Formats: sequence, C-alpha cells, structure tokens
Amino acid sequence: MVEPLLAATDVTVRFGGLVALDHVDLEVAPGGITGLIGPNGAGKTTLFNVITGLRQPNQGRVLLDGSDISRWPTQRRARAGVARTFQRLELFVGLSVRDNLLSAWEASVSGGVFGRSGAEGRARVGEVLSRLGLVSVADRRAGELPTGLGRMVELGRALCTRPRVLLLDEPSSGLDAAETARFRDLLLEVVGQDAGGPSVLLVEHDVRLVMEVCDQITVLDFGKRIASGPPEEIRDDPAVIAAYLGDQGVTDVA
Amino acid sequence: MLPYIILGLFAGSIYALASLGIVLTYKTTGVFNFAYGGVAMFCAYVFWQLRDQWHLSQWLVIPILLVVVAPILGLILEAVFRPLATASAEVQIVVALGMLAFFINLVPIIFGGADHQLTSIFSQGHFHWGKHVVVTWNEAGTFLLTMAMAAGLYVLLRRTRLGTATRAVVDNRDLAELIGVNAGTVGQAAWIISTGFAALAGILLSTDEGLVTYVLPALVIYAFAPAVLGRLTSLPLAFVGAVALGLLQNILARYSTTGFPAKLEGSIPYLALFVLLVIYGRRLTEVRSSLRPLTGRASTGSPRWQFGGGLAAAVAAAIVLPQVLGVSIQHDVAEAMAYSVIALTLVVLTGWTGQISVAQMSFAGVGAFTAAHLAGTHGSLFPLAVVLGVAIAVPLSLLVGLPSLRLTGLFLALATLAFALLMDNLVFGSTSISGGLTGLNITAAKIGPLSLKTYTAQFYLCLFVLTIVGAGVFWLKRGPVGRRLQMVRDAPDAAATLGASLTLTKLAVFAAGAAVAAVGGSLLAVTQQTVDPSNFSFNQSLELLLVVVVGGRLLVAGALIAGGLYLVTLLPLPSVVDKYFPLLIAINVIFLANEPDGTLAVAIRQTRFCLAVLYRRPRPDVLLPVPSVLPPTGSRELSGQHG
Ligand SMILES: Nc1ncnc2c1ncn2[C@@H]1O[C@H](COP(=O)(O)OP(=O)(O)O)[C@@H](O)[C@H]1O
Ligand SMILES: [Mg+2]
Repeated sequence: MVEPLLAATDVTVRFGGLVALDHVDLEVAPGGITGLIGPNGAGKTTLFNVITGLRQPNQGRVLLDGSDISRWPTQRRARAGVARTFQRLELFVGLSVRDNLLSAWEASVSGGVFGRSGAEGRARVGEVLSRLGLVSVADRRAGELPTGLGRMVELGRALCTRPRVLLLDEPSSGLDAAETARFRDLLLEVVGQDAGGPSVLLVEHDVRLVMEVCDQITVLDFGKRIASGPPEEIRDDPAVIAAYLGDQGVTDVA
Repeated sequence: MLPYIILGLFAGSIYALASLGIVLTYKTTGVFNFAYGGVAMFCAYVFWQLRDQWHLSQWLVIPILLVVVAPILGLILEAVFRPLATASAEVQIVVALGMLAFFINLVPIIFGGADHQLTSIFSQGHFHWGKHVVVTWNEAGTFLLTMAMAAGLYVLLRRTRLGTATRAVVDNRDLAELIGVNAGTVGQAAWIISTGFAALAGILLSTDEGLVTYVLPALVIYAFAPAVLGRLTSLPLAFVGAVALGLLQNILARYSTTGFPAKLEGSIPYLALFVLLVIYGRRLTEVRSSLRPLTGRASTGSPRWQFGGGLAAAVAAAIVLPQVLGVSIQHDVAEAMAYSVIALTLVVLTGWTGQISVAQMSFAGVGAFTAAHLAGTHGSLFPLAVVLGVAIAVPLSLLVGLPSLRLTGLFLALATLAFALLMDNLVFGSTSISGGLTGLNITAAKIGPLSLKTYTAQFYLCLFVLTIVGAGVFWLKRGPVGRRLQMVRDAPDAAATLGASLTLTKLAVFAAGAAVAAVGGSLLAVTQQTVDPSNFSFNQSLELLLVVVVGGRLLVAGALIAGGLYLVTLLPLPSVVDKYFPLLIAINVIFLANEPDGTLAVAIRQTRFCLAVLYRRPRPDVLLPVPSVLPPTGSRELSGQHG
C-alpha cells in the first residue's frame, strides 16, 4: 500500500459526555478521492475540524506526508497544503466572489497580506473563476449568492491555495440534480489534472455520488469507524448496510 | 478583622444580587446586560423620587418598584433584545452599551443631575455582636435581604414549573421549544426577575455609596467579575464569587485606606474580571453561537472617486474653513478632527475587524498625558512626545491584546472594559500621572519652528493628520489588508483554514489602533490645552463607540461624522441641545446597531426609497431585500429571458 498523504490515527473527541469520535483512523492516499460517509452526527465534520486544527482532539494524531502536524495551528496546516470547505457555508460575505478567492490566495502565501505576488494571485484567481464557472458572478458580493454558488465559491477559495489535500464537507447539499452532476464532473476534473491536482477527502450524503467517484471509502457510525475499503466492498458490507444505508439504502444501492 | 469581614459580607451580598441578575438573563436569553448598572441607577432614582421627594412610605415604594417599575423595565428590555436573539454578538453588545448610555443620560433629564444621600431602608441604629463588634442594621438587613432573594431565586428555579422550563431552555433551547416550553415567556420572566434584582441592588448600593450618576453604574460593573467566574452561566459560582469579592476588597481595606492599596481595592473587581477572562480564555463560549454575520452595503471595495473626493474635500477645507470660521470655532473643529482620528481606529477595529473595544480613549490618554508631561513645559519636545506616546501605547496594547485577543465578541469587549477601568483607576487616577483633578497644561507645543499656540495652527495640524490617517486607512481597506480584515470578521474559521493567522491579524490591528489613538490623543491634548483624566475615561471610550456606531462603523466617513457629533457638544449651543443630545445618540445607537453603515447610509437609502416610490420607478435593489435565488449563470441571462 502507498504511504498515505494524510492520516489521522486513533483520534478521539469528546463533547462533555458525548463521544463524537472514538479512536478513529483514516487515511487519504495521494491522488484520487477518498470518501468519508456516515449518518448525521457520526462525527465527520468533527474529524475535519481535527484535521484542520480547528478542534484539538482529546487523543490522537494527524500526519501529513508522514510528519506529525497535530500541534500545528490551523493556519500552518493550511500553508502546508490542507484546505477545506464547510458544511455550513463560511463565506466572506462582505467581499465579492473575486475577493473571496483573492484573499484566500493572499492568506496562503507568505507576505500575501502585504500584496506580495499579487500578479500571480490574480492569475490564479482568474483561472479558478473560469474553471468553476464563476466569472459571471465574480463581482457580486458573496453573501448575496444562493447556496449552490456559495459552495462553488468555497471550493474555488480552497483551490486558490493550491492545496495538496482538499477536504470537502457535504459539497452537494443544497444543490439540485443538475448542479450535482455538474459538480461531480468538476470534481473529477480538478482531481484529474495532470499538474498534480489535490487529493480529495469527500464527505457526502449522496451515496450514489460517493460510490461513483471515490477510490476508497471510510464509514463512520456514532464516532466509530465501522468499515473502510474500495466502493465495491463497502457496498456489500453488512455492517454498513445495517448501520448506515438502512432499508432505503439497500434498494438504492442494489 | 471581624468588622472588615462583616463589611465584606455586606458589600459582597449586594454584588451577588447584581451578579445573579446578570447571569440569569445571559444564560436564558444569551444577552449580556451591560446596561445593568444603568437600570440599577434608574430604579434607585425612582426610589429616591418616590420616598424622599414625594414622601411615600418606603414599604409602599419598594413593592411598587419590584412589582410595577422593574417588570415594566424588564419587559421593555426583553422586547428590545428579543429581535436580536440571532444577531451577531457585536450587535447585541452595541445595543446593550447603547442601553447603558440611555439610562445614564435619561436619569439627569427626569430626576435632575444632582447627587443625593439616601438613608438606609433599614432603621438607623446598630447592635453589638459579641463584645467588640458593632453591626449596623443597614449591614445586617442588607445581608439578610439579599440572602433571602438569592434563596428565593434558588427555590424558584428548583421547585417551580417556571424553574423547570428555564432549565430546559438553558439546556437546549430548540429541544425545549419542541417539547412545548415557551422560551419567550421564560426570557420575559428572566428579564423581570433580573431587573428586580437590579432595582434592589441599586437602592442598597446608593444608600451605602450615595446616589451619584456616574458612580453607580461603575459599582455595578464590580458584579461582572463574579458573573464571569461562573462563566456567565453558573448562578452558584457567581454568588460565591461576589461574596468573596466583597470580602477580599474589605479585608484589603483593613491594611490601608489611602494610597496605592486603596486604589487597588477599587480596582480588584476589574483586575479579577480581566484575569478571569484571560484564564478561561477559549473555554468561554457564548451560549448562542450560531449567529448571523453582519454586513453593510458599503463594505465591498469603494470606488476610487471617494478617495479623490475625500482628498479634495480636505484641501478645500484647508483653504476655505479658516476664512469663514471664527477663531474659536476653528479651535472646536480642530478638536473634533483630533477626535475623528481616534474614531478612525474604532472604525478599523470594530467595523472592519469586528472587535469591540471600549478602551480606545485609554490609549488616547496615554498619548495625551505623554504629550502633557513632555511638551507641557518644553513645547519643542512635542514631536518627540508623540513618538514616545506611541511607543508606550503599542507595548501596552500588546500587553492587553496578547492574552485577551484569543477571546471573541462579548468576552473581548469585557476585557477591554476591564482594561479601560483599570487605566482609569490605577494610571489616570494617580496624581503623578494625571496632575490631579485639574489635569496638566500644555499650552506652548511646537513642531520645529511651528508654534501650535494659535487655533489656526492647531486646525491645520489636525486636518493634516486626519487627512493622512483617513487616506491611509481608506487605501489599506481597498487592498490585501482590507480583505484580510474582512476575512477575519466574516468567517474566522475559514480564514484560518486558508492560512491567515487570526491572532496576528487581530493583534496587529489592535496595536496599530492603539498607536493611532495615541497620536489622536496627543492632538487632543494640544487642542484642549488642559489634559484632564476624565476626558480619557471609560465613559469617554463608551461615548466614542456610540458616536462611531451612529456615524457608521464601516465607513471612513463614519469617523468624520463621529467627529461632527463630538463637535456638537463643543459648540456653544442652547443648553437644551446639551441636555438631550447624548440621549438621542444612545437611542440612535439602539436602533442603528444593525446598520453598520450608520445614520447617513440609512438616510440615503430611505431617501432613495421614497424617491423611488414617488416616481413609481421601483428600483429592485432599493425595494427588495437581497435576492435569495439566482440562476447559476448570472443575471444578464435573466434579463435577457424577460426582455
Ligand atoms: N461544538 C460542539 N459541541 C457539542 N457537541 C458537538 C459539537 N460539534 C459537534 N457535536 C456533536 O458531535 C457529534 C458529531 O457531530 P458532527 O461531527 O457534526 O457529525 P456529522 O458531520 O457526521 O454529521 C454530534 O452528535 C454533534 O451533536
Ligand atoms: Mg457534518
């Protein structure tokens, strides 16, 4: 097996009496898309917060490329190449779409806040805007956009930092079927770029989408990892079917 | 020792009453009631009016206060704050501070501004306890009464249906509403009880300390520290903390009643507040955290003509104003411009970064007193004094900022409040620094050969600095720095996950704000010529925040309007203006807290709206709220389809 690009080992998070993550392990292989699924409240977002450093785990480590980043502050992890989107949109609502992306670029390079490498940043932003189809709304204030576009802006913002690992938290929630299809194509395009696109860790409630695009899937339930493997295995895993997919899921997958 | 313990229990029990009231509304409704001291003072004045002026029996007056006045006030406060339940912390804090100013300024209008002595509600005498200890009936009665109130609250929360409902709401508001608890009613009850406690605390405090407009709210701030000890949510801890605070203060008083220990005694509650905030740090979380971020309409990059227009206006002002304004008005305008410089720091700090500071005037005071000490006698040292003022203000701001900037919203505001009050008590209150009550004189400042003695020279200097700072701030806002501030304000978590350091950003802004405020302070010193500590007190910082909110905290122009509002208080206007103006500001703040673009922006919007209605040309961006659904390909196609 290839050395994972990103790994979380033995992560435990408690909120008072509630154990949100219970000795969870997770690996993201370089290149490709890893899925992270589980019912609501399984702890997926919490795991994202642990990986990005927004929440300190009670126990466990996070490794990027083999080195321990558990003690790094969030912004240092970001500069090392960990980027994410948020389930509940966290847009810079007072900035235009373009400035959302530009500020992300500026945050990701040192000296960006003093305007260093501004030209390079604008080029990158232009590139991402056109790839995500955001050009027509580039000058609109992010806070005015509907959810679907907001999710695109968050994706674009993350891409502007040239991440090595991209964590997407329910990127298709709030999108209609057509938008979801568009998003899927985009995702594959972003990852499949020849010039070293990011590896993706995808949290997604749309099981069909996950089965379609992921190379590996990890399943959480009540804070525990109950399965991990390629989609075909996960699809047939009785524990997953019982815990997560339920009756509706079985017919869905079948 | 025992007498001091008795005094301590007496004082502590009044603090406890206030702490309980503050925690009660915070934990049930998520609103930290900065106005608590104002409410307490208002009720104490009502008490004075009814008992000492109209000579009603106090056994009638107290029930009237508790059953009629306090509930009405409580319900009014509840009605003001309920719509803000999901507003950002910033808005809640601004409104609460506006409320505080409202009560402070309302009292002189209704009751006259005079201070009064109130006799205790308990009988005058005293009794002996043991051989040596004398206990006044006031002390004993106060203690017993407050204990009874606390016990009553305990029983109410533990043994009644209201209590059960309250605990359900505190536990999980949504769940509580789901199982049929009316959170609104619970909130109303909490406000009523809390205001009743405020009324009692106000009466008890003012029979002890005298009924003085400015003293009472400050005394009630003593109760903030115990409230924070219980992380604003634990009633028992708040109670214990308050009593401990009273004891600590009075035991300290045993050792000395003069000099530094005495000052320390008065500062302990603020020190405790600051230290507790720092120690708890990130463990302090607000009870309602899913709050809407606040945006104005003007916060995306402003067009270039505003920049040019501003500069042109400055040049025009430089040429025209000295010709048309009388010399004394030039002086007032100069002072107002110095004030605007300080206001600009608040625009950046509060408007653009979302951090509320009620300590900007303290930093200004550092600049002012440095200037007065250095340049008061040797006018030519003024430039050096400005630099030195900045050199003192910046490390001071780091000292405050480093531990406290991890805090957010409410807790940061509380930390700056504690800092401002500490500065008032320990620094500006010390004669060697402030020159006593009369202040220090600075009359002959010079910059090189240029004397700042004449009002016209002061006018030019202030205009020059204001233009530089205003233009600089405006220019920064349009570039990467402005974007960084907006990131931190709108979505701090996202900003961090993209690589921005929140602490560094906030610290840099805080320090830069302190530096500029110090410069503004030294300008104020030059224009005021007498540097008086009361011009740099917490109350002045509060006033500054309020006028900036009215002016528009997102706008550079907002700081200019703030200066204009300050100018109103300087100009020789009819006394009726002086009387009602601060109250109007406070009312404005309460209504405008949700409008970061301030009065002018709202006025422009309303005018446009009226024009649109008049001419029957509905402008969609004026008439409708922000569109919520858009086709993903943008609006041009949309109009194409219809056209
Ligand atoms: N800040 C928090 N405080 C308390 N409990 C939390 C917090 N964040 C998440 N939880 C709880 O942790 C569990 C996992 O939540 P989350 O990670 O958001 O799940 P998912 O993203 O899989 O839906 C849930 O039960 C949630 O209520
Ligand atoms: Mg989630």
